[in-house]
Amino acid sequence: MIVGEHKPIEEIIESVKEYKNVLVVGCQTCVAVSLTGGDRAAKTMTQALTHVFKNSKTLHLFEDSLLARQCEKDWIESFFDLPEGIDAILSLACGAGVQTMADVFKGIPVLPGLNTTFLGALDEPGILNEKCAGCGDCLLGLTGGICPIARCAKRLLNGPCGGSSKGKCEISISLGRDVECAWHLIVERLKELGKLDNYEKISGAKNWTPGGAGGPRQLVHPGETPF
Amino acid sequence: MSFFKVNENCNGCLACVQNCPASALNYFDQEDSRQILHNMSLCARCGHCWRVCPQDAIEFKYLLTGRFDVVTTLDLVHCKVCGEPIYTASLGDTVSKNTQKTIEALCPDHKGSEPVNVWKKLATKRASQ
Repeated sequence: MIVGEHKPIEEIIESVKEYKNVLVVGCQTCVAVSLTGGDRAAKTMTQALTHVFKNSKTLHLFEDSLLARQCEKDWIESFFDLPEGIDAILSLACGAGVQTMADVFKGIPVLPGLNTTFLGALDEPGILNEKCAGCGDCLLGLTGGICPIARCAKRLLNGPCGGSSKGKCEISISLGRDVECAWHLIVERLKELGKLDNYEKISGAKNWTPGGAGGPRQLVHPGETPF
Repeated sequence: MSFFKVNENCNGCLACVQNCPASALNYFDQEDSRQILHNMSLCARCGHCWRVCPQDAIEFKYLLTGRFDVVTTLDLVHCKVCGEPIYTASLGDTVSKNTQKTIEALCPDHKGSEPVNVWKKLATKRASQ
């Protein structure tokens, strides 16, 4: 699931203050699950901004609306009616949604209300943890289902580093967080699986081209031809 | 309740069934009729069916907007004073059981007021004056 966090309200206020009629648009898919971009989040953001600008001399009107998914261009074109008089859109979608909206509504500024943060998993109710970095060349088969790219602060392919202490990551400790060392987890998991020989395999330099270093990635899915 | 609706353009070509990545569409041929089937629980609402349909037969907007279905109907308890609905009878029973206390049916506005019986007596007395 794509996880997004609200931008600081001060930043949002700064970005919308020059517009008079702003439409706050939620996205009802990934970021709705991380409780930052769905219907409720859009309504809350609208109320918050209305409250902030209530004594402003400049007229600010905030409406909220919703798209099931902001990252599907043809959905937006076919099913989303932009209210008249809107002069900016505050999108509570991930970066893909914001860019798709900007592509469709070319004459209107589309402002991001979220910082898109990571691909996460809901490990406990209300707690989403980063699990995947979308590196394009999955190693999980070798690492016992624990990703050293997404979960090691140093992205080590042959870990752990010397800073792994009692199963904790030194970087996280230095930042006041308590995060488990991914390579510690990998070794423990490989032991459980009886696959510790995987740990002895030295990984060479990773090709980061499929991970985005070769430019934006694209998936072309032709679909099946009807009879 | 299915929100997957097709219009009269559907000619049963099965393009949607073949292309559904979530296997939420299927068909059933029996004697001289073909049924197109949709499973709402499997549907990922990806819109692939709508995109591939050569007949423009899929009314995808219904899947995007949907509507609320009634999932259950329960008896309500109303505030003894103002009649405002406050909770379900079943919730009242659960709370009474768990707290081993009898709950008086009063809304937040009237909870702190005089007990209802006293209030009623006073009201009657005042009305008679």
